Amino acid sequence: MEKFKTVLDIATKQNSLGFGAVALVTAVGEQFFSVAMFSCPCNDLHFLYGMVFLLVPALALLLLGFILRRTTWMTLTGVCQRRAALCRRRRLTGVCAALFQVWSTALVAPASWIAVALINGKFYECAMTGTNVTAYNKYLCGEKGSRLQCQQEMYRLPCGTGTSVPQMDRQNVLLTLKAQSQILGLLLVTSIMLSSLLLTCVARCTSPISYLQLRFWRDYVHEESSLMDSYTTKHAEQLAERNVKSFFYKTPPEEILTPSNKDCEKISSLYKFSTKDNYYSTLHRVMEDCQEVDNGMMRLTSVKSNEPVDPSPLVLGLYDGSV
Amino acid sequence: MDNFQTVLRFFTNQKSTIGYSFLALMTVGGERVFTLVSFQCPCNHDQNFAYGLTFLLGPAVVLLVLGLLFTSRLWRLYTGCCLNPMKLCPRGNCLGHLRVLMSIFCGACVAPVMWLAVALLNGTFYECAVSGLDDNLVVDLFCKNKTLACREELARVPCDRSKLSSDERMELLLMFRAQSQILGWCVIITAVVGGLLGTCYKNCRSKVSFLQLTFWKRYMEKEKERFDTLAVEYATKLADRNLQSFFENKEPAPFPFPNHRAWEEISAYYTFTESEQCYSTLQRYVERKDRDFPENKPVLDIEYGERDALRNN
Repeated sequence: MEKFKTVLDIATKQNSLGFGAVALVTAVGEQFFSVAMFSCPCNDLHFLYGMVFLLVPALALLLLGFILRRTTWMTLTGVCQRRAALCRRRRLTGVCAALFQVWSTALVAPASWIAVALINGKFYECAMTGTNVTAYNKYLCGEKGSRLQCQQEMYRLPCGTGTSVPQMDRQNVLLTLKAQSQILGLLLVTSIMLSSLLLTCVARCTSPISYLQLRFWRDYVHEESSLMDSYTTKHAEQLAERNVKSFFYKTPPEEILTPSNKDCEKISSLYKFSTKDNYYSTLHRVMEDCQEVDNGMMRLTSVKSNEPVDPSPLVLGLYDGSV
Repeated sequence: MDNFQTVLRFFTNQKSTIGYSFLALMTVGGERVFTLVSFQCPCNHDQNFAYGLTFLLGPAVVLLVLGLLFTSRLWRLYTGCCLNPMKLCPRGNCLGHLRVLMSIFCGACVAPVMWLAVALLNGTFYECAVSGLDDNLVVDLFCKNKTLACREELARVPCDRSKLSSDERMELLLMFRAQSQILGWCVIITAVVGGLLGTCYKNCRSKVSFLQLTFWKRYMEKEKERFDTLAVEYATKLADRNLQSFFENKEPAPFPFPNHRAWEEISAYYTFTESEQCYSTLQRYVERKDRDFPENKPVLDIEYGERDALRNN
């Protein structure tokens, strides 16, 4: 599990190693699928079969990319409860920008799949021999003597059996299809690269902070997120220990400090960098603002196990600011 | 142990040479794999040219874009320049950034040029592309003094399926390969001569001596390494301090923050000036007399000053 977590860590870090690793794994996976699982049926399901193998795994990889990124869940958690707050334009823009960023990094795996599949050529070959578009079939079969047979038995050509079209003409058609597929694949890769360069240029050019500070911010967010994991684990252990001991030994639970729901809510919102202050995350801003304003926030003690648990926000309000 | 240290020092000094050699090996290996696994000339005169050209130029463009995307120097130069174009003209010198851009572009061109050179020396892509050209001039050039069948069968020559005699086919293939390899060597020699002239020009225009330049390069490397390490340490300490304060419900300990202007100043690109004894923008900043020390907070003073001015108006 630890090793998998390390691998996931590398893959989700937005740097060249992460993207390269994801692209490589997708390419290997595609080769495996096309060799072990793909076999073009020799009937009228060609187009559907080829397109499914080409596009459905790409869609699955895109959705997986969304699911595995923390930013998606940080943005979407609790959105249904705060629909009114979301309708404010600034907040909506922030949410859309965050989701767009997740989407653009999640596109690496599906784009690799489609590019490798097109360069390989098998899926495209299978799909295009089943289109039933007369003009296209005429173009593929050319002006040879066997063109009528070729057009009628187009869907049997990838299999090689049960067709009366001469071998040479069959090879020609399959080579033409493979060439189209590979040209399409290379053009796709080139255009994706050029548009990502353009997008990165625009994003960096319109950045309000300098390059070194941007890199530091990225490092800080990464460190804060991994330390947050270890702090929450440690705190969860302490709280669980206290509760379980109190239950089994029938002793009153010890006092333990735990952040309130309101404070957890405060540090969960998405952070937008401002050049007026020196904060690098929502947590950082909340802690520094708390120090400056100097009000008694978060003086919350956990509810003891023998008192009735009142879920109304008034209880939290009572504990907030007292002691 | 001493011998090992010597060898290690030799390799560390030759880091950039080793890096480029590794890149060359990867390009050659990649090109071979690509050719063997994926490339199959379609051998019809509609597609040959587009196919061969795409295989020749597509990966070159991809390598160029990858080289530009993952160069930190480019982003260090252009981050934030749309919002503040004056960043590109430090001390009134607006041409400096174009020189740096040129140097970055030349560095990113190494991988695509290697790909083109290897692909042309191999000859397969060129063969396929040229045999698909329908231009009368081209066909006459390749098919002069040959049979009439040559014209019709030119596109099928790269595959084994043409109706030409084996000798004619071999002759045509050898001609294609020869042209491709000559073109490949021309690309290599142009790139090498261009690189040499560029380096000569850059060194000639240098304001400092060769030894100082070498020291400067070493210093920049070391400063970058230390900066990255210290930035991660600083980020960890800051995150630890914030999280401790959050979970233990206490006020955060005081922590020094370089202000936004400080970050901007150290991110600018550096050029040598004769009046200063500095090797980087970072050194220039820390040796300034009016930098941001904790007891001196000019940013806050300005903020309060503005607020008072607004209130009075």
